[in-house]
Amino acid sequence: MFVEFFYQLKEAGIPVSPTSFLRLQKALSMGLIRNLDDFYTTARAILIKSERYFDLYDRIFAHYFEGADLPDPEGADLVEAAKLLLEEWLKRPEWVAEALGLKKEDLKKYTPEELVKYFLERLKEQTGQHHGGHKWIGTGGTSPVGHSGYHPGGMRVGGRSRNKSAIKVAMERRYRDYSTDGHLTQAQMGEALKRLRRLIPVGPKDQVNIDKTIYETMRNAGEIEIVFDRSLKDKLKVILMIDNGGWSMDPYIPVVQLLFNHARYQFKDLKTYFFHNTIYDQVWEDPTRYHKPVKIEDFARTDPDARLIIVGDASMANWELMTPGGVIYFNEYNRIPSIERLRFLAQTFRHSVWLNPKFEEEWRFTRSIGLIRQIFPMFELTLEGLEKAVAHLMSK
Amino acid sequence: MSESGNVRQFEGASKYVLDPDLRQIVNVSIALEMPLLLKGEPGTGKTMLAYAIAESLKMPLIVLNVKSSMKLIDALYQYDTLTRLNDSRFGDSTRDVSNIEDYIRMGKIGQAFVSDERVVLLIDEIDKADTDFQDDMLDILEQMQFDIIEIDKTIKAKHRPVIIITSNAKKDLSDPFLGRCNFHHIAFPDREMMREIIHVHFPDIEEQLAQICIDTFYKLRDLPGIEKKPATRELINWIRALKMDPGFHVKNLEKGQIPYLGVLFKKSADYAVALTRTARARRM
Repeated sequence: MFVEFFYQLKEAGIPVSPTSFLRLQKALSMGLIRNLDDFYTTARAILIKSERYFDLYDRIFAHYFEGADLPDPEGADLVEAAKLLLEEWLKRPEWVAEALGLKKEDLKKYTPEELVKYFLERLKEQTGQHHGGHKWIGTGGTSPVGHSGYHPGGMRVGGRSRNKSAIKVAMERRYRDYSTDGHLTQAQMGEALKRLRRLIPVGPKDQVNIDKTIYETMRNAGEIEIVFDRSLKDKLKVILMIDNGGWSMDPYIPVVQLLFNHARYQFKDLKTYFFHNTIYDQVWEDPTRYHKPVKIEDFARTDPDARLIIVGDASMANWELMTPGGVIYFNEYNRIPSIERLRFLAQTFRHSVWLNPKFEEEWRFTRSIGLIRQIFPMFELTLEGLEKAVAHLMSK
Repeated sequence: MSESGNVRQFEGASKYVLDPDLRQIVNVSIALEMPLLLKGEPGTGKTMLAYAIAESLKMPLIVLNVKSSMKLIDALYQYDTLTRLNDSRFGDSTRDVSNIEDYIRMGKIGQAFVSDERVVLLIDEIDKADTDFQDDMLDILEQMQFDIIEIDKTIKAKHRPVIIITSNAKKDLSDPFLGRCNFHHIAFPDREMMREIIHVHFPDIEEQLAQICIDTFYKLRDLPGIEKKPATRELINWIRALKMDPGFHVKNLEKGQIPYLGVLFKKSADYAVALTRTARARRM
């Protein structure tokens, strides 16, 4: 039973094993699952082994048992859903008229596209959540757009229901914060920190542990048994360079800074620098990029074992990267093209990564990203990307 | 197990507020004889659950606190060579020096196996141990037996213990390990759940106080820049502190004066952040 469900989970990329699926069958045959709610929790406990996949599980569960795509209030899905439901609405023009606050006669003036647009605008117009009432889109009201209300032909926009059925619970997507895709957020700070904690050096096992050696030798009835420990190694130095120019980076700067500041104690030294767009002759120690410039050449004197982490969207016009004088401020002029500066940094620091808040699938559309990727290994600024970046920084 | 239908069902315990999801998962795991792996933020009651199960099913509880330096053998048994050496030198004990079995001591897993009744075995913070420990341990828990090499004896479990494993996810657990457990992630309780938890711990708390404490608590949890957010345990201790303080009035809290911030925030950086943030709120 539910073989199709199992394969949908598998195709979505959740690691589900046949053994666990058989175990679910066993639970079913033992009569442990009495209704869909039980099935939702039991199947999740048995099949899904990490909270990172709970969100995906919720979506697939809702899809499989409800058969409907989940509307996302800010996505293209909603447009689709609205269009599909429009036909339904138009059979009862008075509902639509009421829902959108229009007169029935006026409705005829609108084309279907306009109606969909109107509906979406109405959604955006709402600032708070709307419950009850009869005009706006919300829950528990009489408007056909919204849900949990008593309007029979109503359209479902997603939300929290009062009597929680499993499907509705699944539709709430309570685990969205835990899923691995999606940008790094404050909520994921703890998880991200744990990944950074792997930035700890491990030396070879080359120190003799005398106490243990004596103990093991005794246990071995006098036959000498030498026990080695790992030698201590210095903590790491970390250099963080953040692109803090332009709105595209704004949401990520506090997250990245907070992340590394919290992890500061585990590093020997953490230095943060700022730049705009890409790196030219200098970077700055102050976020305003004015008071404390540091020449790129000076980095040649720093410890080459330090880990260099650059955070930026790496998106710019090619000439900004490739030509001398590419800097976008008119009062500065760079003799050496930015790309040479980046190469210099990559050569100076043996361990370096570039973290990009843009998703990987968007990278190929921007040429400058492709160019920079040839110099620095690039990772997404997500939990998974961070994990890979740390692994890369720690590799020999 | 054929008599699974008769297995006593776990229904919650006196000081533990049980979410129906979790009850179903616990009961399924007991019936399927699978270890249950619990993950979640600190303070969501992972460890408490094992205590609650033991209380509800009236089974003894054995707790194995995993440490990073721990070897699997420590959890199974210990051959007390030192005592034996001592006994052989002085010979003033009732133990038989030529019988090694007298010097075998059971570790926590060993105790759970040789116990005459079914027990709840809590393996706390498994993520502290290394991967080999985790995989080897589950081998033993699956086979329900292990060998004592020194006396060439196999210890078999008399009753399959109910196994609860908790993890704070400092490290990711290995795939073979995960494959052998059921998994549940305990989300942080929402306000309604928290209110129930408060009432379980403080049956006579005034509604107004409970409400404002919970509101303040969630507000403080949402402060930006906090590394270790206060959890249920901190809230309960905080309310306890408020109730003990004769000079405390609900009105103060409403005004935004929050006493005993140190009970809620235990990292000095977090404490400083909370202090400045709440001070600012007061002035506004």
